[in-house]
Amino acid sequence: MSSTITKLNAPLTKAQAFDSQPSSEIQLTPTQTSNTVAQRLANFDTLTDALEYAANGVTGYNFYDARGNLRSVLPYNSLRQNARILAQRLYNFNLPRGSRVAIIADTSPEFVELFFACRYAGLVPFAMPIPVNLGSHAIYVQQLRGMLESGRASIALANTDYFPFLEEAVEGAKFVEWTGTPEKLYELPAHDVEFQANNPNETAYLQFTSGSTRTPRGVVITERALMCNLQGIVRYGLEVKPGDRSASWLPFYHDMGLVGLVLAPMVTQISVDYLATRDFAIRPLQWLRLISRNRCTIAFSQPFGLKLCTMRARESDLKELDLTSWRAAGIGAEMIRPEILRNFAERFASAGFNEKAFLPCYGLAESTLAVTFSKIGQGCKSIQIDHKTLIEKRMAARLQAAGRKHNEFVNCGRPIPGHTIKIVDDEGRQLSEMMVGSVLVQGDSVMTGYFNNPEETTKALKSGNWLDTGDIGFLFEGDLFITGRRTDVIIVNGRNIRAQDIEELAELQPEVRSREASAFGVNDSDGTTTIVLVIECRLTSVTERQSLITRLQQLVYMAFGVNCVVELVAPHTLPRTSSGKLSRFAAKQGYIQRTNLEHQLSFMESGDR
Amino acid sequence: MTDSNYDEIMRLLCDRLSALTDSELLITPDTNLISQLSIDSIKLLNLIMEIEDTFDVSIPINGLTDVQTVRQLADLVYKVKSTS
Repeated sequence: MSSTITKLNAPLTKAQAFDSQPSSEIQLTPTQTSNTVAQRLANFDTLTDALEYAANGVTGYNFYDARGNLRSVLPYNSLRQNARILAQRLYNFNLPRGSRVAIIADTSPEFVELFFACRYAGLVPFAMPIPVNLGSHAIYVQQLRGMLESGRASIALANTDYFPFLEEAVEGAKFVEWTGTPEKLYELPAHDVEFQANNPNETAYLQFTSGSTRTPRGVVITERALMCNLQGIVRYGLEVKPGDRSASWLPFYHDMGLVGLVLAPMVTQISVDYLATRDFAIRPLQWLRLISRNRCTIAFSQPFGLKLCTMRARESDLKELDLTSWRAAGIGAEMIRPEILRNFAERFASAGFNEKAFLPCYGLAESTLAVTFSKIGQGCKSIQIDHKTLIEKRMAARLQAAGRKHNEFVNCGRPIPGHTIKIVDDEGRQLSEMMVGSVLVQGDSVMTGYFNNPEETTKALKSGNWLDTGDIGFLFEGDLFITGRRTDVIIVNGRNIRAQDIEELAELQPEVRSREASAFGVNDSDGTTTIVLVIECRLTSVTERQSLITRLQQLVYMAFGVNCVVELVAPHTLPRTSSGKLSRFAAKQGYIQRTNLEHQLSFMESGDR
Repeated sequence: MTDSNYDEIMRLLCDRLSALTDSELLITPDTNLISQLSIDSIKLLNLIMEIEDTFDVSIPINGLTDVQTVRQLADLVYKVKSTS
C-alpha cells in the first residue's frame, strides 16, 4: 500500500518524464504569475468588462491532469477571444436576453469559455454537476432534468464525456430548444453582431444548491451582487496583490469553486492552476505539488480536503514540497473543526506550511459566496465555550476553569464591507453578543431570490432583505462563530445534502407514503456524520422490510454518494408539528433516545426552517 | 488483452475489496458494491487509485455511473485497459 502511494505521489518532474509527450506536440508552459498590466481589484461594472481588461495581460487559467502534467492553457486573452466567437454562435437561437443556458461543468477550458460566451451574448449560464457516484446514472439524469426545468434552460451544453447523460435528461425537459457540445456550437454560423453591454442589474448566472430531483433551487446572482462580493473577497478578505497566484481543485459547479477560484482570480488578473476534483480526491497531494511548483499564494479548501491531504501524506512527499509561498489557505464551505486544521499544519510544517496562512471564512451561495473573513495572516483563532451553559442557556460563555466540558469554535471573522450580520431567536428577535441563534445577513451580495421559486425565496429572505442563512452561531466582539447548522442540511465528507432531498427519494418508493420519512445527520465523537433515514412502515414481512431498507440505502448512495442508516418504525412514531408537518429535530431526538446515543443530544441545531 | 487479464482484474478487485471493507462476506463478481459492501467515498477513491496504479489506466468518472457490482467494475477496467 505505502509503495503504491509513493509511486502515485511521485514528483511531478518524474511523472512528466515517465509520461513524456510526443515530440511533435509543443510543450506547454503555464501562464505567468507576473502580469504586464496594472492590477485592478474587481472595480468593474460587469464580468465582461472585467474580462476585457484581463485580456490585455498575459495571465490566465491552466489545467493539469491527474499526473500533474499541464494539459491546456487558457490565457484571459484567449478566453476573451474564444468566448466572443462562441457568443456569435449563440445568436443563432434568437433567444431573448436573460435566457438560461445550462452547462455541465467539469474542470475544463470549455466550461469557462461557454460561461463567458453566455455573458457576451446577454444570456444567463448555470453550471450543472458532473456525476460522481457509483451506479448514479438514472438518478443523475433526473437531477439534471430537475435543474433544466427549474432553471428553464433554453440551451443545454456538455462536452462529449457527459453529453449522453445530457441527451437523456433533455428528453422530456420542456424548455430546452437546443442541446449540443462546444464543438457543435462552433460549427454553427457566426453572427457578426455588436455585443450589447451588460447592465449591473441583470442576472449574471444562476447557482444551484441542491441535488433534488423535484425541487432544485437556482440562486439568482446579479452582476452587481457578484462584483460587490468579489470586491469583498479580493480586497478585504484576501488582500490580493500583484504576484499572487491560485491553485484549485474545487468543482466549477460549486459557489466556492466558481466565484472564489474562477471569477475572483479573473477580476484581479491573476493566474490559476486547476486540478479536476476527481483527480484531487484520488491523489490529493497533486494539489499541494501544484502550489509548491508554481509558487501559488492563494488556495481554498473545505476542511475535508485538508483531511484527505493529511491522511495521504508520507514523509517522502513532505521532502519534495515547499509550501512557503502559500499565504492564504482559505477554509470554508462546512463547519470548521479546529483539530483538522491543527493536524494539517502539524503534518505539513516541515514542508514549509505556515499555520498563519489559515484563513477561516464563512459564506453561502445565497450571498453569492463570501459573508465573513477572519483577518488575513493571523491563522485560525478559536475559543472554548462552556458546554453546559451553551446547552442550557443557548449562550456562549468562555471557559473559566480548565477541565470543564467545553466546545471549541472557530472565529470566522467579520462581514465583508457593506454587509451586516445579526443573530436572532426562533421568533426573529435580535439577540445580543454571545447568545446563540440563527445567523442572518444583509448586504448587496445577497441573492434576489431563487429562480422562479417564490415559495422558497420567501422562506429564505426575511423582511428588510435579511437572508436567513440556515446556520446557527453567535457574535463575539463583532466576529462570527458558527456552532452548527439547522437540521435541514446534513454535511457528510464536505458534501452538503438537503434532508428534504433524501426524504423525497424515499417517498418515491411505493411502500413509503408522503410525509412518512424523516432524514437527519448524527455525529459520533470524532465528528463523523452519519445520515439516518427513519421511515414509518406498514410492512410486516421481514423480507419485504429488508428489501425496502436495502433499496433505500442504495438510492441514497446513488444520489448522494453516502451510506445511510435506515430505521423502519411503526406508523405515527415520527413526531409532527401542530400543522401536521414532520419535525426533523424531534425525529432526531427520538432516534437518539431509541438508540441510546444520549450524548448526541446537542445544542447544535434548532428547529426546522 | 486476453481473458486471463480479465481474470486477473477480477481477482485483484475481489482481493482489494475484501481488504478494504473488512467484510466477512465472500466477494464474488455479483457482489453489489453499494448495498452489500457499503463502500464509502474514501474507500472507493482508494480502490480506484489502486486499480489505476496496478493496471496503468485512468478510470473515467462517467463510466462509474453504470457500475454497481464487482463484475461491472471489472468490465469497466477491462474495457478501459483494452482501449488504452
